[in-house]
Amino acid sequence: MADEPAVERTIVAKHHLLVRLSHWLNVPILAAMIVSGLAIYWASPVHQHPPDRITGSRDYLADAGAFVARIVGVHDAKAQREWFYNHFSIGVFQLAEALRLHWLFAYLFMLAGLMYVIGIFRSGSYRAVLPRRGDLREAFAMIRYYLRLGKHPVVTSKYNALQRGAYASVPLFGVLAIASGWAMHKPSQLGWLARMFGSYDGARFIHFWTRWAFIAFAIPHVFLAIADGWDTVRSMVTGWSARVGAPHE
Amino acid sequence: MSDEEVPPTVEEVPPIVEEEPVVEEPPPPPRPSILHRLTIETEPEPRLIDATTLRKQTRRDFLLFGAGVAATAAGAWWLLPRHLDSIAVRASRERFLNRALTFDDDVAEALYSRNRLVQTYSRKDVTPLRNNYHNPTPGPGYLSTWSLTLTGLASGRDAVLSLDDLHRLSRHEQITRLVCVEGWSAIAWWGGVRFADLLAAYPPHPRAKWAAMESGVTDYYVSIDLDTARHPQSLLATHHDGAPLTLAHGAPLRLVVPMKLGLKNIKALTKIAYLEKEPRDFWAERGYSKYDGL
Repeated sequence: MADEPAVERTIVAKHHLLVRLSHWLNVPILAAMIVSGLAIYWASPVHQHPPDRITGSRDYLADAGAFVARIVGVHDAKAQREWFYNHFSIGVFQLAEALRLHWLFAYLFMLAGLMYVIGIFRSGSYRAVLPRRGDLREAFAMIRYYLRLGKHPVVTSKYNALQRGAYASVPLFGVLAIASGWAMHKPSQLGWLARMFGSYDGARFIHFWTRWAFIAFAIPHVFLAIADGWDTVRSMVTGWSARVGAPHE
Repeated sequence: MSDEEVPPTVEEVPPIVEEEPVVEEPPPPPRPSILHRLTIETEPEPRLIDATTLRKQTRRDFLLFGAGVAATAAGAWWLLPRHLDSIAVRASRERFLNRALTFDDDVAEALYSRNRLVQTYSRKDVTPLRNNYHNPTPGPGYLSTWSLTLTGLASGRDAVLSLDDLHRLSRHEQITRLVCVEGWSAIAWWGGVRFADLLAAYPPHPRAKWAAMESGVTDYYVSIDLDTARHPQSLLATHHDGAPLTLAHGAPLRLVVPMKLGLKNIKALTKIAYLEKEPRDFWAERGYSKYDGL
């Protein structure tokens, strides 16, 4: 390779190694938690109605799946009923299998969470996600910007207010998922934890909905990170950013 | 810091003359409070780095990332699609998943304390109780000849007990939650004798650590560790909702262990064998946990 002139670049540290590792580990871990968790959910759905006279279904989620299945041209009644679980979980009648996978990935999820917490405190980057005055106004300005109704507000922090809200609440949802999971898993030995969720089904309800919170976060997160540019995506692999000093937009 | 000893008029003192021109420094900013330092985001220090080094580092990081993605994909292939597995892959995978299950069982056992009582409820909290028999609910034929056989006793002889023998032990009632592995749960009012009292009245062999609980009526069997059996809320129940057990709920005698999943609460109990080694367990043989501690 020909000698290149010694050029120097200015970079700035953005994500601690442990933050990056736990970030990417969470992708397969959460995917496994979702596909196994839904297969567990199938065995006894939290959201039930009296059995349907024709299909015998009690499960709102299976009903929603059957609705989609009919639209996409599935004709068999059983296939319609099981469509959701066959496409978004490891399948029906897989409870033992799903539980084993769920416990395995639950421990990995807690380990990844611990890595993340150590990472944000060692690097001090937790400060960037703490809520601050003016966040609400800035969040609405960001929404207006995304809807093409206004300009990008001047953001002097690492994150804008919407990101801050999301990045601060996702770890909280993680804590909620873990706490409600333990409350369901060990309601006798951890009775104090189970009581914090009101009832056994209270913990199941919260656990079920934290899943949708993760999904509701992850989808726009992927789009917005890519839309923000290569520097943003690369920084979650390499840890540094070349966007130095200048406030966004 | 020595700065604090210097009077605030420090700027008026002529600086020590050096070769380079001394830039007049502004007074040091006040030291931020601990709360400020813990909560206020600071701009990270930009640094200069040689472009070639940076390129090499970036390439290394992305290669590692790619290796991680490949390893994850291989792991997912190994773990998820069961129909594609060869026998060998399946065996190694089963061992791995069973190890995860055993680890979770060990955690459950570490959390368990014989002195920790599970939550009890009041009569008005009682909910309907589902009959979740895996096989068809047995008919009443066996009731007239029913007895409970105890083996592995310290006396070296087996004991065959009738309901009247059990009723000689003191009677206890409790309203506890039964939690099914499927996810549903129910609050039920039970009456019966304490397992601990039966163990005291008919002591097991001193080396025994396990109770193999069997129902000759339904061909169902579970393993119960004696530490759980001795819990004050481990009941050999004869009554549900204030009435003798119905066939659906395991007449005439069933196990009630609210610190275990529902599947350990064996119905129509006919035999208890005290053993040194962990006995077989119906659902553990079908891929579920062995310990099932709640």
